[in-house]
Amino acid sequence: MRVAIAEDSVLLREGLVRLLADAGSDVVAQCGTGDELLDEVRKSPPDVVIVDIRLPPTHNDEGMRAALEIRQRHPTVGVLVLSQYVELGLAMKLLAESAEGVGYLLKDRIGDVDDFLGAVRRVAGGGSALDPIIVSTLLSRRRADDPLEHLTPREREVLELMATGSSNQGIADRLVITVRAVEKYVSSIFDKLELPSSGSESRRVLAVLMFLRA
Amino acid sequence: MATVAAAEVPGPAGARAPPPAVIWSIVVLGLSAGSLSFLFALTSDHVREPGLQAALMDWVTLPYILGGLVAWWRRPDSRFGILMILAGFAMFVSNLAWTNVPVLHTIGQACDLLPAALLLHLFLAYPTGRIERAFDRALVLFAYVTALGLELVGMLLGGFGENNILEITSEPRAAELLLQAQLLTLSACALTGVAILALRRRGEPRPPRRSVELLTDSFLLALVMIALLFTAGAFDAPGFETIRRATLVVLGLTPIAFLSGLLGAHLARSAVGELFVELRSNPAPADLRDALAHALRDPSLELAYWLPQFGSYVDVAGRVATPPDDDARRRTTLIVREGERVAALVHDPILDDEPELLDAVTAAAGIALENGRLHAEIGARLEELRGSRARVLDAGQQERQRLERNLHDGAQQRLIALSLELGLLEARLDSDPTARLRLKRARREIALSLEELRAVARGIHPAVVSAHGLGVALEQLAARAAVPVRLTVELEDRLPERLEVAAFYVVSESLANIGKHAHASAATIGVTRENQQVVVEIVDDGVGGADTEHGSGLRGLADRVEALDGTFRIWTSLGTGTRVRAELPCG
Repeated sequence: MRVAIAEDSVLLREGLVRLLADAGSDVVAQCGTGDELLDEVRKSPPDVVIVDIRLPPTHNDEGMRAALEIRQRHPTVGVLVLSQYVELGLAMKLLAESAEGVGYLLKDRIGDVDDFLGAVRRVAGGGSALDPIIVSTLLSRRRADDPLEHLTPREREVLELMATGSSNQGIADRLVITVRAVEKYVSSIFDKLELPSSGSESRRVLAVLMFLRA
Repeated sequence: MATVAAAEVPGPAGARAPPPAVIWSIVVLGLSAGSLSFLFALTSDHVREPGLQAALMDWVTLPYILGGLVAWWRRPDSRFGILMILAGFAMFVSNLAWTNVPVLHTIGQACDLLPAALLLHLFLAYPTGRIERAFDRALVLFAYVTALGLELVGMLLGGFGENNILEITSEPRAAELLLQAQLLTLSACALTGVAILALRRRGEPRPPRRSVELLTDSFLLALVMIALLFTAGAFDAPGFETIRRATLVVLGLTPIAFLSGLLGAHLARSAVGELFVELRSNPAPADLRDALAHALRDPSLELAYWLPQFGSYVDVAGRVATPPDDDARRRTTLIVREGERVAALVHDPILDDEPELLDAVTAAAGIALENGRLHAEIGARLEELRGSRARVLDAGQQERQRLERNLHDGAQQRLIALSLELGLLEARLDSDPTARLRLKRARREIALSLEELRAVARGIHPAVVSAHGLGVALEQLAARAAVPVRLTVELEDRLPERLEVAAFYVVSESLANIGKHAHASAATIGVTRENQQVVVEIVDDGVGGADTEHGSGLRGLADRVEALDGTFRIWTSLGTGTRVRAELPCG
């Protein structure tokens, strides 16, 4: 897996490089700014880029803009955005058109090495990785007539994992159930929420998100 | 810049007014000259209709001398009065030509045409008595040389009859031609003067007062008559004598027009009486300017108050307003009361001609001016306060931003790196379950610390607002709210940061209040741009009765909004919910 990183904190950048190298990934570029990252991606598109949302020079939205530009110009490159705050509004911006090959995680998640590497691989492979905080924000959102009330606690758990981008296998591993059981839950959830069941895992992330946000 | 002491009794200003002895000497000299003219004419052996001639000459001479005297006395700063007196006496001197005494006759003859040049000089020098433009000066000098110099040459050549003692040779034909050229040249000079005055009048920024207009008309008419007279003289036209008489009648009108202008300024003091009445009704400070403008008959009048504590001029609302430097269009007059500068009047230069009026008006407005100044001072203090409040808020915000940034770049990054380090370590410790467990626990502690730090950082400054804008930041707030929220943000562009942050706090505090007190079932948040302002409105359907005075952050929100010159309002009554509305100007 070829990875490019844009992170202005040297400490974190080196940590990330070590983490990815240990996992057998190939870190092809390490950048301090969004523009550098765009140059690298243009020269030789990696499988995935990991971008800090806050980059020099202004430390405002440079990372976000670089991420959106890569999503638009290089659809084959996965984009994983890291941030010290997760915002629903930003998630919606990143996933505006599709949830394919995109991730948005709290920076803290780097410490959960296995989960983090799993998310990087998912995004590189065209899947999605959405921070659980975003999903729980959406799920906890007050609604006048809440269709989520009809879900069983187990279904809610499955929905939550599904929305973060987990695959059926991932959900099965996490909940220690069979993949077949997961599939059953998923179709039941879609029935209850009156959502058309959709094919790919990243497409169903978007469907669920849109439903939750509405 | 002129200074007016408003406390003084209005009267002729300046110290250079002519002393009474001088005035009376001139009066006596003038009257003697007038009588002598009659004597010269009646005893002359070469003047036809001597009584009429002398009367006509005195009709011109005496008004110039006496009018000039009044002008000199009233406006000692201006040389115009002195010039008028000189013109009057020059005409008398030219009357010496009537005498039979050769010396006097010769002097009179030499000065025969001098009054024409002097009158041109006088008219072009109105109102200051000085000629500003080089061309005008050259024209006047040329006229003097023509009138006096060529006359002397003509006399040397033996023109002008037998009593001419300057005659050294007798060349009557040459003298005649010279005189003809002289007359034509002078009438050309007069017509050039007409053109100059007409152009000058057209260049005026606004129509002059009636009295000034009348005076300029009299100048123009006099110059035209002089040109006509001299042209007729040059060609010995048949009606010459009639034209001469008409010209003299016209010339006598100018001092009368001038004096009537002065009298008009005097009459303008009745406007001061009206001002007194107007001020007695204690007008609002904002109306004082209008009252003064009316009394001074200058609609363009501007009034600026001097605030010594601020060391600057301000308008009636207390905003800094520096009077312009004096130029052709604007003049500034300082108003001084009891030795202290109070205000400045910026007015049309025409008022320079009426210092008494300016004095009287500012004296009448004394107390009202003091009031106006106090009012302006309060305005200035408010303005200052508003500015400093905004600066304090800005400084606070910058400091908070800096703190948040330090947290982000420092402690937070380090903790994340540390967590990552522990994670990597954990992955290598397959064999030791206890160590793994302890590492996991340590990582959980770090995660908690990071969460707390994040909350602190967010409390210090909502970085997401600065970085990604109000719309993005409100999305999260709305989703996290305790009641279902419908969020509508209609902004096309980013707003200035301080506005976005203020609007963010308005929404976040309002939502917190709704969660805590409102018992609402739903709320709406609207952010729209209306004209030149951003309107933030939060409405809930709760129990109402929001506490706007104590504790609740509402007071702080109002402060924040008002520091940005915005308005903050709350409608809340028991049972009908609460509406919070902030309007923030965004130029």
